[in-house]
Amino acid sequence: MKMPLTFMLNNQQTTLEIDARQTLLEVLRNQGGMTSVHRSCEEGECGACTVLLNDEPVNACLVLAASVQGASVLTSEGLVKNGKPHPLMKAFTDELGIQCGFCTPGMLMNAYALINRAGDNLLTDQVIRKTLEGNLCRCTGYVNIIKSVHTAQKAKLAGEWW
Amino acid sequence: MPDNSAGNNAMENSVMKNFIGSRAMPDLVYHSPKEISDLLSMVDAHGTSARVVAGCTDFIPSVRTGRWCFDQELNLIDISKMPVLNQIEKTDDVLKIGASVSLTRILESPEIKEGCPVLAQAVAQMASLQVRNTATMGGNICMASPAADTVPPLLVSDAWVIIQDAQGEHKVLLTDFFKGPGRSVLTSGQVLTHICIPVKKANEAAWFQKIGTRTAVIISVVSAAVRVTISNGVCDTARIALGSVAPTPVRVAEAEQFLEGKPLDDQVIAECARMAAQAISPISDLRSSKEYRKDVARTLVKRSILACREALK
Repeated sequence: MKMPLTFMLNNQQTTLEIDARQTLLEVLRNQGGMTSVHRSCEEGECGACTVLLNDEPVNACLVLAASVQGASVLTSEGLVKNGKPHPLMKAFTDELGIQCGFCTPGMLMNAYALINRAGDNLLTDQVIRKTLEGNLCRCTGYVNIIKSVHTAQKAKLAGEWW
Repeated sequence: MPDNSAGNNAMENSVMKNFIGSRAMPDLVYHSPKEISDLLSMVDAHGTSARVVAGCTDFIPSVRTGRWCFDQELNLIDISKMPVLNQIEKTDDVLKIGASVSLTRILESPEIKEGCPVLAQAVAQMASLQVRNTATMGGNICMASPAADTVPPLLVSDAWVIIQDAQGEHKVLLTDFFKGPGRSVLTSGQVLTHICIPVKKANEAAWFQKIGTRTAVIISVVSAAVRVTISNGVCDTARIALGSVAPTPVRVAEAEQFLEGKPLDDQVIAECARMAAQAISPISDLRSSKEYRKDVARTLVKRSILACREALK
């Protein structure tokens, strides 16, 4: 069944024509043009398609697009402001938390929600590892990814954040 | 965007109509009821073409990998937007959890931490944050997987479910709910709306443990939950449940009865764990062999009773 879908995509009211069978992953990539949302396992094992749905990380491959009517969806494209990379992205490049880059957009979105949730509490390695357990990196760059999250949180506490 | 409309029309008239992208998916009509009355009239009206879903984290992979096939259009009834099924209520004796409450909310709920901590303990070991944010306990139960991790803690807590249909509300003990892998007492026209759990008492303790090939996003090789109440140094009531060792999650009555009326000393616990492992006949599959499952079941039951004993000290 074809249906219209209206939702906030990266802070912009967006209406797309979708098929009720489509997942959020397919709609974001195909109709929405958000190709940072990577398609990989499509069964919730890898986290490469992680986006924020109403500020909470979810696997876009396991969400029916029809169910996000009226909701807000944030992808890593939405973190960029006026063409400037987000401090979180900068932390990932500075700390070499990015190797091949396939898992990175999902890692970014999960880490972004984590850092926002944490507020002023400094994150521990253990909390970061536990939170990112649903995001697989096959370059085995986890140590640098955890470093990146620490650095990003410091940037947030220093007031460089949006 | 390239214009694919001509291609799509041709596809819709062929056998390929159940494919979208490279994966199978039957044609769907999406419904999102708000009230129980709308929900019940929808499941009634659509009969066998109706599927009730909440988080969809099991539905989507099941359909797309071809484990579930449908030769007709599906009426998908999404209960995740129903406020009435999205609540956790606690009275003095009972916790009542709506079927579409997400696993994350169960994990973070102070009511559940206080009233049924063993459930939160199990949920913390399930899937990943992303999945827990959408998956629901109602879905975990209705999928009737032998490996459902919320079920052993619920079984040992003497939980029941509320099923609603056009005739009204029915209370079904969770021990009577499962009929086999993927099968339950639910019939067409019925919806599981709530899960009810008697709240934990002062003289009781419960524990859950699972073993998988990694700690996150993994289907249990074996899971075990134990609940014991103690008075005057002896075990009053014992509940032992195991997952992934039978066609449904099961309770092991022989081992429970053995424990009741006895002090929880090391010898009694070891014998009880041995009896629990003896009572089950798991299968060998891609995740594990039956011998390993029996061995792990014994260890998990032992460790869980020891943990309960420790908590009651």
